Amino acid sequence: MFGMKKIRKINKSNDSSAKTEAKHIKIPSSKVEFIEKLKEITHSPADLMIKEISDTITIIYVDFLIDVNTLNEQILPTLEKTDCATPRIIKESLLVAEVDLGSELNKCVLEMLIGAVLIHVEGNSELVIAKISAYQTRSLTTPENESQVIGSQIGFNESLATNISLIRRYITNPNLSNEKYVIGKETNTSLSVLYIKGIASEEYVNTVRQRIIDLDVSDILDSAILTELIDDNSLTIFPQMLLTERPDRFCDGLLSGKVGIVVNGSSMAILCPYTFFEFFQSREDQNLRWPIATFLRLLRFSAILISIFFTPIYVATLTFHYEVIPQPLLVPLSESRAIVPFPPIIEALFLELIIELLREAGARLPTKVGQTIGIVGGIVLGTAAVQAGITSNILIIIIALCALSAFTTPNYVMGNVIRILRFPIIFLAGFWGFYGIMFAFCLLIIHLLRQSSLGAPYLQPFYPPRWKDMADSVIRLPLPFINRQPILTSRKVNDKASNNNSSNEEKMKQS
Amino acid sequence: MKSLLQISNDQKFNAPLLFFVVVTSQIAVGIQGFQRLIVKDATHDAWISILLSFLFSHFIVYVMFKTLEIYSTNDLFGIQLDLFGKYLGHLINFSYVIYVSFAFFVVLKNYTEIITTWVFPNLSQVFISGTLLILVIYSFTGGLRVIIGVCFISVVSTIWMLLLLLFPLEYAHYNHLLPVLSNDLVSILKGAYSMTFTIVGFEVVNILYPFVKDKNKAQKYVHFGLFFTCFVYVFVMIVTIVYFSNEQLEKTIWALLTLFSIIKLPFIERIEIIVICFWLIIILPNLCLFSWSAYRGIVRIKNIKGTTFIWIFTILIFFVSLPVQSRHDINRINNIFSKIAFYVVFIYPLFLYIMASTKKILKKWVKSS
Repeated sequence: MFGMKKIRKINKSNDSSAKTEAKHIKIPSSKVEFIEKLKEITHSPADLMIKEISDTITIIYVDFLIDVNTLNEQILPTLEKTDCATPRIIKESLLVAEVDLGSELNKCVLEMLIGAVLIHVEGNSELVIAKISAYQTRSLTTPENESQVIGSQIGFNESLATNISLIRRYITNPNLSNEKYVIGKETNTSLSVLYIKGIASEEYVNTVRQRIIDLDVSDILDSAILTELIDDNSLTIFPQMLLTERPDRFCDGLLSGKVGIVVNGSSMAILCPYTFFEFFQSREDQNLRWPIATFLRLLRFSAILISIFFTPIYVATLTFHYEVIPQPLLVPLSESRAIVPFPPIIEALFLELIIELLREAGARLPTKVGQTIGIVGGIVLGTAAVQAGITSNILIIIIALCALSAFTTPNYVMGNVIRILRFPIIFLAGFWGFYGIMFAFCLLIIHLLRQSSLGAPYLQPFYPPRWKDMADSVIRLPLPFINRQPILTSRKVNDKASNNNSSNEEKMKQS
Repeated sequence: MKSLLQISNDQKFNAPLLFFVVVTSQIAVGIQGFQRLIVKDATHDAWISILLSFLFSHFIVYVMFKTLEIYSTNDLFGIQLDLFGKYLGHLINFSYVIYVSFAFFVVLKNYTEIITTWVFPNLSQVFISGTLLILVIYSFTGGLRVIIGVCFISVVSTIWMLLLLLFPLEYAHYNHLLPVLSNDLVSILKGAYSMTFTIVGFEVVNILYPFVKDKNKAQKYVHFGLFFTCFVYVFVMIVTIVYFSNEQLEKTIWALLTLFSIIKLPFIERIEIIVICFWLIIILPNLCLFSWSAYRGIVRIKNIKGTTFIWIFTILIFFVSLPVQSRHDINRINNIFSKIAFYVVFIYPLFLYIMASTKKILKKWVKSS
């Protein structure tokens, strides 16, 4: 990742000088000159279509990027009718929604590459830009990675326009602001910053705006890269912004005052600021009855602890602290460990590694082969390892439990973190027993306390304690008790939080 | 006043968090073995001694806040500079820094000793103090917000330990508590005096005060914190008295840990090993608060960066802690510390308050005349 960043920066410095030179190219008024110039800039690609409608009018577009029907039915007939006209007249007579006049060649070329038809009229140094872009997009499908039983079954796709229209279907509100940015020197990726005016705190919106404007990168191919670039701390293992493919989760975030970013070409939208505990919530929790949702959340949180600390505790106990185990439990433990030739730490690392390999293989393989992995891993490796006397039965149970617990994390990125965290702790447990585990625990807590997301404390609402927001954090209380606008996101620069809160609520009611 | 502090709102924390600060700063290594010292004088009336000592603490906190309120937004170091002038003020500030560092040292040393006695007899003390200091550096460099956060999480994540003390009650002899008040007042007061080592720590409020957001609520939460620790100590003491006989207790250095060690659960035995390791998170906020207080004092004398300070501080402590190894040494250090702490925490604030209020009255008098 660091290497990539460096390369990007070097690229940037090289081409920035070239670009400033080529910035202000006037459009030649003569047809031949114009076409030559255009070909020179675009290096005459094979899909560049140049059509001469009449002696004076030429249209240029990139094949497959535009809607051919509109071109045939709207633009071509109009152009044929209006012979020897100026660009201004053509612009007015075209029955296309988005028509513009351009006088700068570079900008026009960019528009063409997004999906516009350029119309050149002999003797004029202005171009008509008719934006009739049409791209091939995947149809809307169910979100594969964030599936849920109850709730809407629609996910984002890769088109920015489709995604924003999806969001607008959920939130019909004139206050839903949409700010457009284009970043990436090589890719010119467009992205939208979405938030609801009056609910989202200006402070956070400004931070996001500033961080995006300050970005100096050559390319953004996915929103996941953007999250790492605009994070508070990109060195930490913990994600500080949510990537979601669910429009309902995204809108839920916007309505509770978060700032959202949608990147063109990526089916994952970004929500920020996001806190540690929110990563373990599922959108479905809101749709279930509250006691069940609370139970599931508590289950997930205990799963984190199990998944991080269970194997290390096993290692520590069997290496140093035999006396902690009661006698009835000690007998089966020592029986199953009696034939194992390795110390517990090697045994545990070996099995953990197998589980990780299985998971990685399962993720990379085509789905059809994936099932074999389960059989190979579960039955062949597991049973055989025990029978061969390489590991103990009890450890297999513990490792499986840890793996299972890690998979309950609703967020994939956070799930990865929880799984990987275990490894250094196993080492510490193997060397210094419970003391090592406790050392890791303290380090982890201090680390989490030090993190922030857009400047907001990462462990909110647990620390700093916000009792009102606890209603929807580790537990979920009935909906009337839940404050739709957590203090986290409605926090203002000065201490007038309560005032602003009430005014925001009024706005919400009005809208 | 030149010594006024400028603190931005970002650095401040809410008053209720003071509750957690006070609780963690009081409960550290002392609680593991304070029973023996107090019972030696007050025998089975030891819990009355604890109540008395807390009563006195409440009074001291009241005086402390009266002093701080005279200066509205200043900490102890600023007050001392204002009262004693530049040179004497700096000298007193520096000796207070030494006291705080001594407290840091005592906590560190006692904990390493417990670890080596109960859990890892062969683990080098150097390693334990090294790892502890790494944790202190990491949380200190995060700023006050992180330190207060460590205090908060420390209280929340260790509160379950109190429930463990219900197990020894199975073997309790409640008649150990009777007859109430059979000791004379002097021996009870002596017991209260022995509480010093265990009860001190709340004096960090003196230095934290300017960083509290709503200052008029601060005192309330400090008193709440004292009430809570008082409850914890009295509870622990009563459990100890009803469980141990006097003769047994005299031979038990860490009575609390012995109490834990008899607990048997279907899946765990010898809980004290887990508890001792878990104790790391109880002493960590103490170390953080003490090092932070030392930093606030040093900054008044010479303006240095926090990161530079904490490295120098921890390295110094590390080397000082090397020669102190045996139980005997540590016991002696504890005794010296509790003697000093008694004067610093319980007597000095009274003196300071008298000085500050006289100065205030004098100023008024000068102005009016």
